[in-house]
Amino acid sequence: MQSKLKSTFEQTLKTLLMISPMLLAVIGLIGLFKAFITPEMLRTLFNGSVLHDMLVGTGFGGISVGQPFLSYIIGGELLEDGASFYGVTAFILAFVTLGVVQLPLEFSIFGLRFTLLRNLLSLLFTFLLSWAIAFTLGVLS
Amino acid sequence: MKRSKSGLLMLGIVVVLYAVLFFLKPDVTLKALDESLGVLKMIVPILLIVFFLMALLNTFIDEKAISKHLGEESGAKGWLLALLGGILSHGPGYIWYPLLQNLREQGAKDGLIIAFIYARAIKIPWLPLMVTYFGWAFTLVYTFYVVLGAYVQGMIVERSDTRERGA
Repeated sequence: MQSKLKSTFEQTLKTLLMISPMLLAVIGLIGLFKAFITPEMLRTLFNGSVLHDMLVGTGFGGISVGQPFLSYIIGGELLEDGASFYGVTAFILAFVTLGVVQLPLEFSIFGLRFTLLRNLLSLLFTFLLSWAIAFTLGVLS
Repeated sequence: MKRSKSGLLMLGIVVVLYAVLFFLKPDVTLKALDESLGVLKMIVPILLIVFFLMALLNTFIDEKAISKHLGEESGAKGWLLALLGGILSHGPGYIWYPLLQNLREQGAKDGLIIAFIYARAIKIPWLPLMVTYFGWAFTLVYTFYVVLGAYVQGMIVERSDTRERGA
């Protein structure tokens, strides 16, 4: 068990080293984003109706790639800059459940019917769940 | 290895971007660098906790064990395993696709696979980060609805499959 634990920690350390360039790159981009994109610009992008915010969030989340925690970091910053929970939740959900970039891979492994079904359901549920989550939070607070 | 290369490429692009922007607007670019360092300082301690959790999961959760039981048609137990497996599985989603397709070919229900994939929207090691950014209330509500959503999607697929087979 001890040797397994040790090898697992080594493997985890390797993973950490492997993702660190991408992590630093994204953090660098976030810095640029925060300095160059003013809250006013973002608000115009996100501050529409609930439906508009969810559409923008889903679109951005669906085309973005990377480790899921990146969506939390970006989502957190968006929230701080005045985006609604509807849009940010849609972004986080779309980020982890939809992947435009990985579609060809998914199609080649699962076939057309399964891939289409899975992605359509994920798209539908991004809307349903982000609305339900933001609505529930509103009721709770 | 490929992922590591794309990360380095991305980092290179960002460095070049900083260099070009520094040339055009030095003050705003320095502010951007300062903002980045702030984010980095906040992330590092959480990152260490996350990787500790990941190592623990890797040690105690056997991927083969999850896949074996997901393949059985075990009713409520199958659903529980699909949802738990999705929540506990880690690493990028596409790593799991070949294994999942293998399970489908061995007779695993599509509904269970769909539920498994959707439940992966919950990332246990990253929960501390989610709580830090969005608070406990959001994290609990999010987790609840994702599990519910995964189950409902799986049921939709299973119902449509059953109907097709019946027709």
